[in-house]
Amino acid sequence: MTIVLPGERAPARHVNLKLGPGLFQNSNASTSTGRAAPSIFATRAGTLNHSSNGSKWWIESNARRYVPAAQESVIGVVVQKQGEGFRLDIGTAHSANLDGLAFEGATKRNKPNLKVGSLIYGRISLAHKDMEPELECFDAQSRKSEGFGELKGGFLVRCSLRLCRQLLDPKYFLLPLLGSLFPLEIAVGLNGRVWISSQDAKRTIAIAQAIEAADPDAQGMDEDGIRTLLEDLGRK
Amino acid sequence: MSADRLLLTLSDSSDSSDGHSRIEILNTGGYRSDGRRQYELRTISIDLSPQGSGADGSASLTHGLTQVNVCVFGPREAKMRSQTYHDRANVNIEVAIAAFSASERRKRGRGDKRILELSQTLKSTFEPVIQTSLYPRSQIDIYIQVLQQDGGLLQACVNATTLALANAGIPTYDFVCAVTGGVHSTSPLLDLTLLEENDLPNVTVAVMPRSGKITLVSMETRLHVDRFEEIFRLAGEAGKVIHREMRKAVKDRTEQLVASMQSVGRPSTGADVGDNEY
Amino acid sequence: MRPPSPSIPEKEFLFSALKQGLRLDGREFFETRPVTLTFGPELGWVECSLGQTRVLAQVDAKMIKPPPERPFEGVISIHSEISPMASSEFELGRPSEEEVTITRMLDKVIRRSDVVDKESLCILAGQRVWHLRLNVHCLSDSGNLLDCACLAGIVALKHFRRPDVEVIGEEVTVHHPTSRAPIPLSLHHNLYCFTFAFFSDTSIHPVLDPNHLEQRLNGGLISIALNAHRELCVVQKSGGVPLEPADVLRIVNVAVQKAKDLDVIVESRLREDWEGRKVEVR
Repeated sequence: MTIVLPGERAPARHVNLKLGPGLFQNSNASTSTGRAAPSIFATRAGTLNHSSNGSKWWIESNARRYVPAAQESVIGVVVQKQGEGFRLDIGTAHSANLDGLAFEGATKRNKPNLKVGSLIYGRISLAHKDMEPELECFDAQSRKSEGFGELKGGFLVRCSLRLCRQLLDPKYFLLPLLGSLFPLEIAVGLNGRVWISSQDAKRTIAIAQAIEAADPDAQGMDEDGIRTLLEDLGRK
Repeated sequence: MSADRLLLTLSDSSDSSDGHSRIEILNTGGYRSDGRRQYELRTISIDLSPQGSGADGSASLTHGLTQVNVCVFGPREAKMRSQTYHDRANVNIEVAIAAFSASERRKRGRGDKRILELSQTLKSTFEPVIQTSLYPRSQIDIYIQVLQQDGGLLQACVNATTLALANAGIPTYDFVCAVTGGVHSTSPLLDLTLLEENDLPNVTVAVMPRSGKITLVSMETRLHVDRFEEIFRLAGEAGKVIHREMRKAVKDRTEQLVASMQSVGRPSTGADVGDNEY
Repeated sequence: MRPPSPSIPEKEFLFSALKQGLRLDGREFFETRPVTLTFGPELGWVECSLGQTRVLAQVDAKMIKPPPERPFEGVISIHSEISPMASSEFELGRPSEEEVTITRMLDKVIRRSDVVDKESLCILAGQRVWHLRLNVHCLSDSGNLLDCACLAGIVALKHFRRPDVEVIGEEVTVHHPTSRAPIPLSLHHNLYCFTFAFFSDTSIHPVLDPNHLEQRLNGGLISIALNAHRELCVVQKSGGVPLEPADVLRIVNVAVQKAKDLDVIVESRLREDWEGRKVEVR
């Protein structure tokens, strides 16, 4: 678990090397004195991680602003109806486009009627740095909704990007802990937004506070801390 | 005799820098400096005739010596698309105070914070009163021109704006009627002039007369809580009196318009002016 | 750049939670967020935070010649600005609506209501008076910048100590803080500002010290500035949803109680800080 800072060299070496976020390959073709491999530099501050066979390397760091990447699930808010589709705010530099037909079972006659301000859980289908991101509300392989689409009711919590990734990790304690205490529905967007829905307002507020407390940006509470917090809230 | 003593002690204080002799606010006979009684309001004159320039509605209102003109344009297309709301109209209020309106000539620029605050206060007062949801993505412009100031500026602006909106035919939920109140030692006074405003703690209250609910409260001077309660309730009631005058003016104007429409030979619409409970 | 409006689920959840008497951060309806006052190394420098909302205030004084129409009084000027780091909706240079509200309220609370005894700032009548400058910077906006800014301003004035001055005839000697202990400003009273937000649905009671979401979805705000002796200085309800007169009076009474509590907290914090400082007097 080495911590690297921007500009430091990373010892990433493999035949089929794949670099993830935070690493940059500087190919020195100019020095032809027989250097073995082009050097890999870190561009972010964080911990250096790699996959078990050493082919994939990346830097684990935290941020609050999301940069879109393809096939990631995000939560967006409709800001405008535009032609055949909608414009959504997903917290990135540009608004995203969602076509009216990008839903399961949508035809020209049967398009979903979304109001300005609705919450949508979608998958980024196109994320190129020169174009506006595009969303779709169905799974890539099965073409079925698989949970994507409009999120009704519930509440939206904002958090850091690191926490979203942690929440999606099955080994992280928070969601199993919350699930064992009360039934809840949750949609995690990788853009720093989490939608939660529970039986009543009191429980939803408790879940929102637990998520905000576990955020590494804020207090970064561990399991015992969250348990105590929830007990205090339950008693009130 | 006690009035003379009152004058004597007041002139000893050192903070009056403009040199005029102290005028007593309320004398023992119960008369104020301009001859009114404690709860008497100043003369109101309302003129709803069009002021040229193609404004959709206009009103000119005076409370005693304070005179305010208001012109309303709208709902019309917004100048800046970024300012529009997708489900309602945007209400834009601009206030201009003439340099000659006060006793000393003073030119106030557009960015003057007091004027900005006045515009903001009026905007948030009228936004919930106008039925903006009927006109999405449009803009309603209200331009206020202050011609003479003798106390009660916010009060006059609120009343004149209400009349101009009614004159323009923009649907509102109710009238908004404002009045100022102050306290002189323990006696409450209503509708203060500039002299009284500078001396006494005062509050401006605007009410919606049909429901009696308060929509605007503005107080900037020190006043004890118990005194505040008293003057607050009083001002709320006085707002209803102003409402009567305003309603009369609007009704007269409407009757005038209907009469002139009928004289041109158009068939009357069947609904009589006097039928409306409003 | 106006930030996007809250989404429909957030709006509906907030209103339904408030109807049930629950606030999103678990507070009571008339409970403020915890007030944290951090004093800087210099006197007159304080950072005030109400939850995540943070405001920095700083006071300094210099001697000037007084304006001819008021030769016996000192001068107070207030400079307040909302830094663009507070939120993406604030731009430097162009005063936003919130900035105008804060500037005007600070003006009313600190200048027009005579918090500082101006005549005590006079050194030599007609020649030298103290010019106090109060700088207020809003650093982080998580709802209710107004109350935080007013509190920071008042506490900074209470914390500040001006250099001791000796006047012999026409000669004025300013003593350095190390040779003679600086003296506090003479304040008539302490003013505290309380902002309540109420909503379009009149069955929801007003809430004190709105947080970010409550402020964005409010149907109107009412701000009350008063001291701990039951004297009101500013009552400002700028439009918004109309309220019954009884509701307005009820809010005023809550503010009266809160002012007393806040006064106790502020005084004890100031005492704590003063005991921790060592002011050298040789």
